[in-house]
Amino acid sequence: MKKLTQSLLFSSMLVTYSAHADIAFNGFASIVGGVTTSNDEQLDGYDNTLSFDEGSLFAIQASSELGEGLSVTAQILSRGENDWKPDFEWAYVAYEANDNLRLLAGRQRIPFYMYSDFLDVSYAYPWISPPAGVYSTVINTFDGIGAIYSTNLDEFDVVVHGIYGNSDGEISVDTELTGKADAIFDNITGASMAVTRDWLTLRAAYFQADSTIGLLRLQPLVDGWSAAGFNDIADNISVFEDKSEFVEFGFQAIFDTVQVIGEYTELTTANTTVGDEDSYYIMVSKQFDTILASITYAVDEDHADAITGGVPTGVSPQLDALIALTNGATDAQEVDVTSITLGLRWDFHDSAALKFEYIDYSDDLNSDNDTGLLKAALVTVF
Amino acid sequence: MSVIKKSNIKFLVGLFCLFTTTVSFAEVAVIVNKANNATIADSDISRVFLGKVKAFSNGDKITVINLKFKKPARNEFEDKVLNKSASQVKAYWSKLMFSGKGKPPKEFASDKDVLAFVAANQGAIGYIEAASADGSVKVIKTF
Repeated sequence: MKKLTQSLLFSSMLVTYSAHADIAFNGFASIVGGVTTSNDEQLDGYDNTLSFDEGSLFAIQASSELGEGLSVTAQILSRGENDWKPDFEWAYVAYEANDNLRLLAGRQRIPFYMYSDFLDVSYAYPWISPPAGVYSTVINTFDGIGAIYSTNLDEFDVVVHGIYGNSDGEISVDTELTGKADAIFDNITGASMAVTRDWLTLRAAYFQADSTIGLLRLQPLVDGWSAAGFNDIADNISVFEDKSEFVEFGFQAIFDTVQVIGEYTELTTANTTVGDEDSYYIMVSKQFDTILASITYAVDEDHADAITGGVPTGVSPQLDALIALTNGATDAQEVDVTSITLGLRWDFHDSAALKFEYIDYSDDLNSDNDTGLLKAALVTVF
Repeated sequence: MSVIKKSNIKFLVGLFCLFTTTVSFAEVAVIVNKANNATIADSDISRVFLGKVKAFSNGDKITVINLKFKKPARNEFEDKVLNKSASQVKAYWSKLMFSGKGKPPKEFASDKDVLAFVAANQGAIGYIEAASADGSVKVIKTF
């Protein structure tokens, strides 16, 4: 009975609500198939059997204007790689303070990259998904507040987007170093700025956060160094409220049917065994009527400094073993990958496009890992 | 069978040429309300229609009106003024819509509907085929 009353109450709320405001529904979807060209290499979740769930996604957005500059928006997204489990990707209340200033509270995107805001809306960019080396942060959304200030200075359109908040959700990172580990990012603070004039857009972003990553696999090392009296090193292995910093520079230039886009990113987590990541890509595309052809060159370089520099070797076998294991952990993070992506996008319909991509990866540290990845996607907005 | 297909293609190509030829001769007029005394630089027109400029020079809030997809005047306008293909415009608005940064303009089915809305709303701006313009609105630029 209580349930019935509740649902009646709820539906009457809905009825009252819809009498005041219209809810607009929009959505987007990508159906992606991919397969690697070599027998035993895994890449971006793909292997040599054709897979359709990795990279496929479906999203519905509901938004409503409440009047007086207030609006609410929720975007629910299901990914094939997460067994289509739906998740709130965005859920916020926005307040249009004036024509220049928009304030957001709730779950929203961290504007790390040029394409962060519409990361999953494949229809809005040339690739099937943005270059993986640059677009590699473990989180993309946060819960907190954001402010978007946009203004026109002569012929320059300027947009500054600042945020503050946390990401305490069940985000797990899965790397060679960590295995599966839960990650918490607190005090995510920073801003991006983009300036556009006619054919050219320049962008820069800086963010920092207090990162905590449960590196269970490395716990024996932490314990070992503590027992040996090297608390500094023990601290430097664990990632507990350590400061991560992110820097991005990007540009986009449009010359009639030719477009050139580039982004450079740097991600560091000080005083930890987590490696520094330097990545960039440059893409050139040309539009031929409904066909867009593109080529992307991307480089991803990760490096972690050894943290055992101050420890004397040969003192005891236990200590030497700790040094070797710890150096192994930092060495394992060395990445040096170059990729070339050839892409075609065909706008065969007013709200759908077909995309084909071939990505050639070369691992400059171990050519046994070289492989190719073939992908096709049907992407749509509705 | 293949003969039929070939002739179909020929017909389609012919139709397409006919269509594009007709379209490229149609001029598009950008229209505002008669009472609107604001000045708009030519270079600002595309920024207004992309939602980057939100107020007129006199401070009035701008309401942009679009024509429905596949209207010839819309293709012409997007090509000549916005310098974008139809799918690029759609992609542009998708970016804004799914990131909460903006909404695409309201769309009307015909030049007549756009004329009526612009004539009735002081802050409105739209475009129609130049031949459809009449005294109920002010034409600020023809492309």
